[in-house]
Amino acid sequence: MTRATKLKAAMMEYVEGTIFIAPWFIGFVMFMGFPLGFSLYMSFRKVNVVATGMTSSYVGLKHYKDILLEDGSLLYNDLIPFLQKTLFMVPVIVIFALLIAIVLNQKFAGRSLFRAIFFLPVILSTGQVVSELLTQGEGALGFMSKYNVSGLISGNLPSTWATPLIWILDSFVLILWYSGVQILIFLGGRQTISNSAYEAARIDGAGPWATFWKITLPAMTPFVFLNMIYTVVDLFTFPTNPIIMRVRDSEYGQFSALIWLYFLIISVFLIIIFILFSRATRSQRMTA
Amino acid sequence: MLAKIGMRTKRAEISTRLESSRMEMSAVTGWLSKVRYKIFGREADKGLLFKIFIYLILIDAAYIYLKPVLHMVTSMVKDAPDLLDPSVNWIPRVIYFGNLQDAWEWLQYPKAFGLSMLLSTSVALLQTFSCAIAGYAFARLKVPFKPILFFFLLITFIVPLQLTILPNLVFARVLGVLDTVVPIIVPALFGLGLKGALFIIIYRQFFSTQPKELEEAARIDGANVFKVFFRVMMPLAKPAILVVFLFSFVWTWNDFYLPSMYLANTDTPPLSLGISRIASMIREQAEISGPSIFTEPISMATTFLMILPPIVLYVFAQRWFIEGVERTGIVE
Repeated sequence: MTRATKLKAAMMEYVEGTIFIAPWFIGFVMFMGFPLGFSLYMSFRKVNVVATGMTSSYVGLKHYKDILLEDGSLLYNDLIPFLQKTLFMVPVIVIFALLIAIVLNQKFAGRSLFRAIFFLPVILSTGQVVSELLTQGEGALGFMSKYNVSGLISGNLPSTWATPLIWILDSFVLILWYSGVQILIFLGGRQTISNSAYEAARIDGAGPWATFWKITLPAMTPFVFLNMIYTVVDLFTFPTNPIIMRVRDSEYGQFSALIWLYFLIISVFLIIIFILFSRATRSQRMTA
Repeated sequence: MLAKIGMRTKRAEISTRLESSRMEMSAVTGWLSKVRYKIFGREADKGLLFKIFIYLILIDAAYIYLKPVLHMVTSMVKDAPDLLDPSVNWIPRVIYFGNLQDAWEWLQYPKAFGLSMLLSTSVALLQTFSCAIAGYAFARLKVPFKPILFFFLLITFIVPLQLTILPNLVFARVLGVLDTVVPIIVPALFGLGLKGALFIIIYRQFFSTQPKELEEAARIDGANVFKVFFRVMMPLAKPAILVVFLFSFVWTWNDFYLPSMYLANTDTPPLSLGISRIASMIREQAEISGPSIFTEPISMATTFLMILPPIVLYVFAQRWFIEGVERTGIVE
């Protein structure tokens, strides 16, 4: 009897959970799961758009072969510079956001004003607006041209790395515009560190430098990880991203294959970050 | 005897003198350390040097963020002579509203504004609600195959929109809702749509940090899961609700990709699509007749008209928003 009621109660809990998740799951199947399956299916086919609709024929792995092996201009020409840029941009954004978040956490006069300013990018930085605002060459740093930094870089580095690096420096301001949400995440994260940890450190005579490395940074590691993931996803799925721009003008079957490959690359990137992060936290736990 | 006394007084004198000089010394060191504290701070975060450093960083970075906005505002009120005059850089000599007027007409502002408002408000309201439900289920309820579902959620987060857009377009055409706002709003009803997965994750994070006792108490009092959710958890979730609503509103407002797909053939596009159309029009013209300095005020004015509503919203919501971000700890 009691067992039966217990079983019934457990069943009830699952039913409740199912009711709550059901709308999202139905939406997922309709707007995400089915379209994903469809595009995967189409990536093995050649699509022809005719007056009455679409016809398609099976071509096997042809699209993937074309993209990966035959025609480098489809993927590599845009992807490799983009990956190089991302490699520079992610740390720049994360470090800048961490710095600003920590500074915004201090108590000083005018704090709320500065906070309001630093959330501006969150409001404005999606899509069209930033590109409109920054098209007038507002992206460059003043000292770049003054000291001929780009000349120095291209003189000392192989051009495969010099080009993205110069691009980064040229559009440094633009990069900072992408760090709005990251600053928010760090600000939220900083609140999870209790003040008593800082007090204890102060009593032990730790300076601000030591406090930052020994308390703030370790406690922020999960947020650094989260921000890296957010930044990578954001950069890779941005509508003005070169590869995503490119997929528009190819045939749908090839388009699907291209974007599936691209999706796999994003996943690899994220998995690398994930592995690095779990290593970092493990070593942290061991030293602690 | 007398000599002895003299000796003693002398010694006392010396010792007092020594004392006083020592006091002087300690006064000097005290003053020095006071100065040191002033500059470096007793706890290093209250010193002058540190303050200067903070303000330096903040003002630099704030300048980066504010400069384009100020540039936008000043250049959109410049008239033709001010544009041609190189000595007029930041402050125009006359404030000229013609550009704004042109932009207003080009964008068909009242209509486009209404459409943008309709889209953003409905998407934001729906997402705020539907994502909360899903987030609560992920945080607290027993759901069959939860890890697999959560994996699906993460997939939704990282899949580029472009991967699923064509099947969805076909879907919309078959249902006959292409060139209406329906295909943009409906996914939000199910907790999908623009960045829906991120909002679910935010809610999940928020709900899983709340103490379990409240729900248990409500359960013991005989409340069912709906009552617990609507009466106990949702009122608690105010900071998260505010953050999600504002993000959702602003991102939908600014997004031009989905409107450019679903609303490509409408006469009045929403503002985001409108300014991207004007921008490409200007670009085309520049290719034909060469770049012109007269187009810049127009494009600045259109941008201004578009970002004004979210900025007004932000100015009002700003205080709660920042508090909300801090209190939700948004993510953990």
